[in-house]
Amino acid sequence: MTDTRIAAPMLGGWGAARRRAKAARDAEFTAFVEATGVRLRRSAYLMCRDWHLAQDLTQHTFARMYAAWERIRNGTNLDAYSRRVLMNAVFDQQRRRSGSEIVLADLPDRADRASPATSELRLALVDALARLTVKDRAVLVLRHAEDHSVETVAAILGLSVSAVKMRDSRALSRLRALLGEDFPDR
Amino acid sequence: MQRNLRDHFEAAVSDDPGFALDGMAQAAIVEGSRLRRRHGWLAPVGVAAGLIAVIGAVTAPRLLADAPKSADSPVTVAAAMMPVTAPSCWREPVDRDATDVVIYLTDVTGEQLSLLRELLHGDPGLAALAFESREEAYSKFRTRWATNPDLLAAVTVTDFPAAFRLRLQPGTDFPTVRARYENAAGVDRIVGRRCATDAPVGGVQ
Repeated sequence: MTDTRIAAPMLGGWGAARRRAKAARDAEFTAFVEATGVRLRRSAYLMCRDWHLAQDLTQHTFARMYAAWERIRNGTNLDAYSRRVLMNAVFDQQRRRSGSEIVLADLPDRADRASPATSELRLALVDALARLTVKDRAVLVLRHAEDHSVETVAAILGLSVSAVKMRDSRALSRLRALLGEDFPDR
Repeated sequence: MQRNLRDHFEAAVSDDPGFALDGMAQAAIVEGSRLRRRHGWLAPVGVAAGLIAVIGAVTAPRLLADAPKSADSPVTVAAAMMPVTAPSCWREPVDRDATDVVIYLTDVTGEQLSLLRELLHGDPGLAALAFESREEAYSKFRTRWATNPDLLAAVTVTDFPAAFRLRLQPGTDFPTVRARYENAAGVDRIVGRRCATDAPVGGVQ
């Protein structure tokens, strides 16, 4: 690398170096997307109950991360960072759409479309999640679908550890009340 | 038992349709570069600040480096003519789950236009309907690019399409709406957007 820079004329050398740096950055970023995209999209889905919207939210999250990549690629907990960007996108979307209720369509609509035999329980959980507040839902998804520690969840959502614990136990009991006996105690 | 709860969440995402990820990185690179050009480093900082505070792994963030660039300047006339997505909508048009729709017209006759208007007025799937003439579209363009004489000189009123702007009733299926009108006489193309309820009808400014 040093050789080329010395050998090439000043401007050409800079241009080539910058192109190489961009190519390396893009490759690193692409590897990150491929390694984490599925998990992130699934969490997005649990938040919004819509795979297409989940795809949009994930895409948006990665675009924001690419815009900040130089700054965050070293030393930042990328996993937690991506969750924070995602959750903020979900919260924004929710605020913009209605101000109060869940991000997406009405519940009955979804239930009708399901084929009950295979997906009853699955839908039950996703629909029950949708009945919680968006913050409570975020706590459950991060804590139980993603297995983050209480401390990490608190960092991602900008809440205190005790607030996360409180929301978690409150949301779990709501979930249990909605799902009845199908749902494990803990 | 904790394990059991985890399994429930795993099962809940078991119908993941598995959209391809390889295009996603590329699209994020394109969109992310655009974001960075538009906002400098300012935009992502708000998102990151809290994390940095708690996780504390990052050295001093470049809070104010690279001030945001001034007004957007389009690369081509065609880009300048593109309608501006309203701020409370998703930035890119969507293929499904649209809340707002614009139907762009080609050289439509008066008769085709009133037929189309009648159809739209009678459509129970619509919550709101507005019409924008090409004169109105042209005048918006002139206002927007008032400081750019080259652009103003490059186009005339006939370069702009007239359009119907629709807001769908909640629950109205966008692909159905699109299929209903895309082959009607005088319709050029149909663009759906996903917007908050406070967006202008059609999702464009």
